Amino acid sequence: MGIKVDFRKRYYNKKSDKKRGIAATFTLDVQFEVGNELVVLFGRSGSGKTTTLQCISGLLEPNGGKITVNDNVYFDCHKRINLPVQQRSLGYVFQNYALFPHMDVNKNIGYGLKGWDKEEKEKMIREMLQMLQIDGLENNYPSQLSGGQKQRVALARALAPKPDILLLDEPFSALDMVVRMKLREKIKEIQRELEIPVLFITHNHVEAFTIADKVIIFHEGRVQQTGTPEEVFYHPKNRHVAELVGLSNIFEDTVVNEENTPGTLTLKCGNLQVTANKPDFDCNISERITWGIRPENLRILPLSDSLESGENTYQACVKSVVNKGASRVLALEIEEHENLLIAEIANQLFEDVDLKAGDKCLAMIEKSRIVIF
Amino acid sequence: MPDQIWFPLVITLKIAILSTFVVALIGIIISYILARRDFRGKLIADSLVTLPLVLPPTVTGYLLVVLLGKNGFLGNILYDLTGWTILFTWEAAVIAAFVVSLPLMVKTTTAAIEAVDREFEYAAFTLGRKELETALFITLPLAKKGILAGTVLSFARAVGEFGATLMVAGNIPGRTNTMSISIYSAFQAGNSELANMLVIILVVMSLLSMAITAKLVNSWKI
Repeated sequence: MGIKVDFRKRYYNKKSDKKRGIAATFTLDVQFEVGNELVVLFGRSGSGKTTTLQCISGLLEPNGGKITVNDNVYFDCHKRINLPVQQRSLGYVFQNYALFPHMDVNKNIGYGLKGWDKEEKEKMIREMLQMLQIDGLENNYPSQLSGGQKQRVALARALAPKPDILLLDEPFSALDMVVRMKLREKIKEIQRELEIPVLFITHNHVEAFTIADKVIIFHEGRVQQTGTPEEVFYHPKNRHVAELVGLSNIFEDTVVNEENTPGTLTLKCGNLQVTANKPDFDCNISERITWGIRPENLRILPLSDSLESGENTYQACVKSVVNKGASRVLALEIEEHENLLIAEIANQLFEDVDLKAGDKCLAMIEKSRIVIF
Repeated sequence: MPDQIWFPLVITLKIAILSTFVVALIGIIISYILARRDFRGKLIADSLVTLPLVLPPTVTGYLLVVLLGKNGFLGNILYDLTGWTILFTWEAAVIAAFVVSLPLMVKTTTAAIEAVDREFEYAAFTLGRKELETALFITLPLAKKGILAGTVLSFARAVGEFGATLMVAGNIPGRTNTMSISIYSAFQAGNSELANMLVIILVVMSLLSMAITAKLVNSWKI
């Protein structure tokens, strides 16, 4: 049961390029399997998330591979099966709602219920109105609804025909924070109630983290990593994933390992040394490796604390301070290290150090939080 | 009203209404295909439909005479089948009006259909609706303003058609003398009273049809 996806879709500069054997300008090559869970497709715009949904829905035809949903073959290149969109049982929610402007809410929700008995249809529309808490709006036209209400109607319309899967393409990106948070909860609730696979596209970290049972990371047309939000956000497998999940301090340095403390390794960064826990793969001395630290895992201490106080503690000069509301983001220049470090600290903690651009402080990289890939 | 005025008015309306009806029907189909389908020779098809818009009406008329005459490709078939030649009848004027007003319908309607967000159609497809259903109940209703504009333009063009009509239908009093042709011959004959009368009727008719269209469009929310 669930969705099984393994397909390729190629894009060419010109149509004739394909025949002439000129390489594709963009190739989407994705494999994943999802069960009855809420799966977030996460990645930059242009990484192939929307194309993936369109291939699953049948709005686009892949060049090769296979797509099955609950043992129904939607697409199979070898057997030349390409089920038309209309025969695939799916609900699709678009970023800009795509509500039919010339139909009221009732008609919009009922549009997918073709051939249903009139009473059944009315019952289903009522059920949907209730589930999405939009009863009372049934005679309104889309232009008379707020953004949040529109997206609720769009969800109701997609769910009314009882689809096998639900596909959502950045459904909440045009909504304000409060409405967005409410709708995230709603989506989670609906998924638990209906027990169908839900694929949800977003490029918002918080959204991915808060709603996903599983996150699939896309980069340049490939799946980079699949896992729970915790796995993906705290243990990114490679640089692409790390950058995507907001690990903004990424460096490439040489392993030196001079002290022989078991379970740790030392990296030489310019004239500085950073100690990290050994990763679960082998690292040889003098090998160059990529490592990183999340901005919130840097600790900022006043200069008065002794420099010897801890491992991985360096004197730093503040280049800029940006207040993000609940936290401040600091750009730090560490002596004898060419790259800037980005630190994020909660505003309550920031009040203790109270730094401005030009001030000096101590920055500590928490050893246990260092990610090596 | 004297027959000199009454006949041109009736024959003009008959020709324009009939031609506009066919233009709207065929124009919508052509426009949908041009706006939503990709096929070989699309550019050629588009150019062929648009050609009468840029050709002088006399050239269009001449080509129609060549095509519809007893020895012409279509005229020959028609003659063999029915023994009837269409040239110099009011039906020929309908064909002339159709050919010159079709590009106006197609250009306007194609633009209107292209402006409909494809996401509405995709949404309809994912809700199990076939393409024809989607075109009839989603795409075309959302493009209705452009379709109406195209229809009104085509009607106006058909009413005002002169050059091609003169070539294929001539100026036979009581048979093919439409308003615009009658105005020309009245003017030539120095009958300014008749010319003035016909001109006033034509101007009033045009203003009225524009006003009615504007009112209709304003009452549409979408």
